[in-house]
Amino acid sequence: MKFFSLNGLIGGVLIAALLIVAATSLFWTPFDPMKLSFTARLAAPGAQHLLGTDEFGRDVLSRLMIGAQASVWIGGLTVGLAVIAGTLIGLISGYARGVIDGVIMAINNALLAFPGILLALGLLAVFGANQYGIIFALGIAYTPSMARVVRGAVLSLREREFIEASRVMGNGEIYTMLRHILPNCLAPITVLATSMFGWAILSESALSFLGLGVPPPAPTWGNMLAAGRPFLEQAVWLGLFPGLCIALTLLGINLLGDALRDRLDPRMRGLK
Amino acid sequence: MTQEKLLSVKNLSLEIARRSATVVNDVSFDVAPGEIFGIVGESGSGKSLATRALVSLLPPVIRQTAGEIIFKGRDVTAMSEKDLRSMRGAEIGLVFQEPMTSLNPSMTIGRQLEEGLALHSRATQDERRTKILAMLHRVGIRDPEGALTAYPHEFSGGMRQRIMLASVMLLKPALLIADEPTTALDAVVQRDVMELMVELTQAEGTAVVLISHDLPMVARYTSRIVVMEKGRIVEAGSTEDILERPQHPYTRRLLSSLPIRGAARTIETASAPVVSARNIVVDYPGRKSLLKKGAPKRALHGVSIDIHAGEVVALVGGSGSGKTTLGRTIAGLVRESGGEILFEGRRRDIDWQDYRLNCQMVFQDPYSSLDPRMTILSLVEEALRLVPGIDRAAKRKRAYETLEEVGLGADYALRYPHELSGGQRQRVAIARAIARRPRFLIADEPVSALDVTVRAQVLTLFSDLQKRYGFSCLFISHDLGVVEQVADRVVVMQDGRIIEEGDRDTIFDTPKQAYTRRLLSAIPALDLNETGGVRLKWRLET
Repeated sequence: MKFFSLNGLIGGVLIAALLIVAATSLFWTPFDPMKLSFTARLAAPGAQHLLGTDEFGRDVLSRLMIGAQASVWIGGLTVGLAVIAGTLIGLISGYARGVIDGVIMAINNALLAFPGILLALGLLAVFGANQYGIIFALGIAYTPSMARVVRGAVLSLREREFIEASRVMGNGEIYTMLRHILPNCLAPITVLATSMFGWAILSESALSFLGLGVPPPAPTWGNMLAAGRPFLEQAVWLGLFPGLCIALTLLGINLLGDALRDRLDPRMRGLK
Repeated sequence: MTQEKLLSVKNLSLEIARRSATVVNDVSFDVAPGEIFGIVGESGSGKSLATRALVSLLPPVIRQTAGEIIFKGRDVTAMSEKDLRSMRGAEIGLVFQEPMTSLNPSMTIGRQLEEGLALHSRATQDERRTKILAMLHRVGIRDPEGALTAYPHEFSGGMRQRIMLASVMLLKPALLIADEPTTALDAVVQRDVMELMVELTQAEGTAVVLISHDLPMVARYTSRIVVMEKGRIVEAGSTEDILERPQHPYTRRLLSSLPIRGAARTIETASAPVVSARNIVVDYPGRKSLLKKGAPKRALHGVSIDIHAGEVVALVGGSGSGKTTLGRTIAGLVRESGGEILFEGRRRDIDWQDYRLNCQMVFQDPYSSLDPRMTILSLVEEALRLVPGIDRAAKRKRAYETLEEVGLGADYALRYPHELSGGQRQRVAIARAIARRPRFLIADEPVSALDVTVRAQVLTLFSDLQKRYGFSCLFISHDLGVVEQVADRVVVMQDGRIIEEGDRDTIFDTPKQAYTRRLLSAIPALDLNETGGVRLKWRLET
């Protein structure tokens, strides 16, 4: 049996590369990403600056590497927040049903009806435009869809006979929820979480692009993209490389997510 | 058969395209006009695929590798898609197993019935309407006018199968293919639908190919049958010959798997019953609408039942009789609205923990009763989680022993449920239920999802375990054949009430209630003969 499909492998390599780059940048980058150099403004990619320099003469490669850190942090923590909060809410809502479910889902739907990016914008105004503000804002904005998906899975699972079997055995509600329902929700949670990781990176970029994200001079892919916009005609690499980083990361995440779902579900094992 | 053939299948072989695995191997049979012809086989025997090939409705992964299918002198396998379409429905009708899914849920009955007529006949709209009403009346729909504008979900499974039959017979096809037409229905309804099908097709001169795993049912209505196993026909001939003088070992095995009455046992009933349900009333909440709550629906009207130590009590009845509700109420899955349940003479709510430890349940569907993410071992071990007084190692040892007892060796322990067959899964479910050594077991249709030969094995296992551990059992089933084999006492339910109860031989030999007689008329009594064959005797309804 193959451990991963080809798609999974590609996804894995892309994400591993992202993590390695982010980790490397903690210790080493080719240049100081903050160092201004007026002699090397808007230098094209070449032997000295592999991916060129920006309008202040900062090395794009170094800045992209530091930006990868921001993406991993923001993506990871946002998804972590949304998964934990969303799963908890979804489990409670789906398992309790009745009035509790009604109230939770009414609030949830109201949040869902509100565009995620607008919600994040509003929350950012409250938390302040910095790295942690973004994580909280996006985490809260993504929680409702996670809650919705988990609740749906719980509702269909709790009608299955093995849940009744657990009750007949005398197992408590919380035990049943954690031992039988939660593990069976993992597949949809994983799939949604991986796409959320992608959305989070994208939204961070969008917010930074709008100037509401991580403030300059700290580099993120999004604010690099934004900063590169006025120079697109003279220095296409300023927009191209951050854009490429975002695209490849999203591709990797989606491929990995699909492969992961197949691996996580015992029913899918041994089929191939 | 000297008369001309309506359908002739010659050396048909089918395989799964990508894997080149043969699923139907060199199958040949003929059907005469107006004849009822039976194909018997268990799941995986290829019987359904072979008959789907008759109308070229094979799934895309299946490829025909050899053979021809001659219907009315034309080779179906060589027909164009256009010819096939005009033949399906008009000349060959199909009735499938699942009445829940074979009618389109978003179309009214009237429109669905009209579809075929509009396509295959030149009748005007008024003529079509008259025909449809007459046919609905013939298949026993009470209010044909009303049915025209009703949707499928408004009818029960049996009624839906009647409507299905009506839609097929409207076109007066020359051949009807009925693939497990009544398997999803309960025994009484099953028989009614079969009788209706036979009556209608005989009146129209339609030939029937009846496909089923249920050998007695097929035998009852056919004069000739073929028996299929693993894609091959292992035996063909007159129904009587095959039943009474089976030649092939597989046919013998099928016949010997039919449930047969076990020896009567005497049960000590002087002492207090293990479980006693008294005047149980269960109301299901009515359907809520926007403004008001509907009236609750009463599922059980004050039902009392006693189960003594070591006794197997069968609870029988059609669907909607309340037998499952009673079982689930005793299991504590449904809350009773009135009455009380005693365990060893004490109200069970005095010590729920103790009741839970001693009362276990085996569910009907082995595909949904096992958590797909747990290994077989952990499933059985989980049942021991709350058992006090034994340590972890002892629990693991007990789990392995129990698996061994249900015939699953240690090499199954670390597999997942999806890697097991239906019969093996049900063995796991039984292992999980008995691992605690309960005093009392509720088995809700434990074998009705299983193939005939597997069912026999699981029933034998169940009886052996019951004898060894002496637990009492409430055995819920609509299949009286199975009940006849395992039960000591039989309780018959109808419409939420117990209408008759008594020891098994009394109920089976001298039933008093008309409903009980109807239930019994759906299953044959078997006489085994020395050649490994059987003679079926059908009980009379009156």
